[in-house]
Amino acid sequence: MSNLAIDFHTHPLLVREMIARHPELADAARKTFYIGNNFQPLETFHLELDAAGLDKAVVVAVDATTALGKSVYTNDQIAELCAMSDRLIGFASVDPHQPDAASKLDVAIKQLKLRGLKLDPAMQQFRPADRAAYPVYEKAQELGIPVLFHAGMSWAAGSRLEYGQPLLFEPVAVDFPKLNIVLAHLAWPWVTEAVALALKYPNVHLDTSALYFDNPRDFLRYAMTHVVPLSVFECSLRRQILFGSNYPRVEIKNMANAVRALGFSADFLKLIFGGNAVRLLGGVA
Amino acid sequence: MIVKLQKIEVQSRKDMEMIDITDQIERVVAESGLKNGVVLVMTTHTSSGLLVTEGIECLERDVLAHLERLAPKDPPEGTYHYWHNRYLDYDGRLGFNAGDHLKSILGGVNCFFPVENGTLVRGSRQRAYFVEYDGPLARTVFIQVLGE
Repeated sequence: MSNLAIDFHTHPLLVREMIARHPELADAARKTFYIGNNFQPLETFHLELDAAGLDKAVVVAVDATTALGKSVYTNDQIAELCAMSDRLIGFASVDPHQPDAASKLDVAIKQLKLRGLKLDPAMQQFRPADRAAYPVYEKAQELGIPVLFHAGMSWAAGSRLEYGQPLLFEPVAVDFPKLNIVLAHLAWPWVTEAVALALKYPNVHLDTSALYFDNPRDFLRYAMTHVVPLSVFECSLRRQILFGSNYPRVEIKNMANAVRALGFSADFLKLIFGGNAVRLLGGVA
Repeated sequence: MIVKLQKIEVQSRKDMEMIDITDQIERVVAESGLKNGVVLVMTTHTSSGLLVTEGIECLERDVLAHLERLAPKDPPEGTYHYWHNRYLDYDGRLGFNAGDHLKSILGGVNCFFPVENGTLVRGSRQRAYFVEYDGPLARTVFIQVLGE
């Protein structure tokens, strides 16, 4: 088993070097994600990983061209960022409303060397099972890459809760059984539905990047011990839970500490923090 | 009359950390040409601080540990909660770091030293620290010299 520890869900919204090269990214951070934190050198991102005891992080783009008229990081920009750091793993995004979305994904994976696909139905405003998105799923399945879906509530401007309901993803899980799907944020407030989906479909995974009230410790304890018993994750979903922080909405260190404090076994924590992510990334991180 | 304001960036590398910035303050004073007056130092961040104490590693650890006891990041379970633990729409995130803001208040966010004959007036053991309560982050500190 790999000993790498990975944060499977971050948004590189605050990286100062990228803001300097692409000033429109500042707007994306402030007006789309409403992130008010000061922009930081890339070094701070690395130090965040260090403080959390992690080695690498997935950084994602979101292509909301049709819904919002912009991308929060383009695939090229994610590739540019990843070229600056061997600790970052880039995920592409495409706009499922666009007819050439599948071919853009092909380019992002084969030419830009990105490693997965990020889709945010709430922000991109599409139903996950919309047939227009199927060519994208077919391409992702063919490429053997995971799809990280935003699921559950989103704070982002213009996003719609209804597109984040877990059961909307069921047709995708059924129709693309070899496609590894990750539902982010435990799909809160529909944690039970998301867990049911993962229990039924082995290609459905959940990431831990959920924080909607209280603090990371108390929120995750509520979601992962009270809403759904801890034993369900530990015993039944061992290979389907991935650590994600949703940085910079939450510091990586805080989410990592909260997950470690839940009471999972040491070997399950290894899977959550690395083993499961490495498998979804094709065995190499 | 000399009035100069200098901004420096301090990169913290840990969640909580004391970073000695005495030499940087002295450098700003020297470069300003100030002979007699005062130097004022402040952090612009509400989850960080500025304080003066003896410059030894064991005391640095005691300061941080004591402030964490007084204002813990997460309150002991079943005791009290922080009102700050809620979504802050202007910040795009939850404000779950009340304990770090409280540490900043307890420890203070500024310090000053007299300057005499171009030299900082301070006790032989006194050092000026930037104190990180919620790092790692690149932080901004202002140093202003006033005098002649």
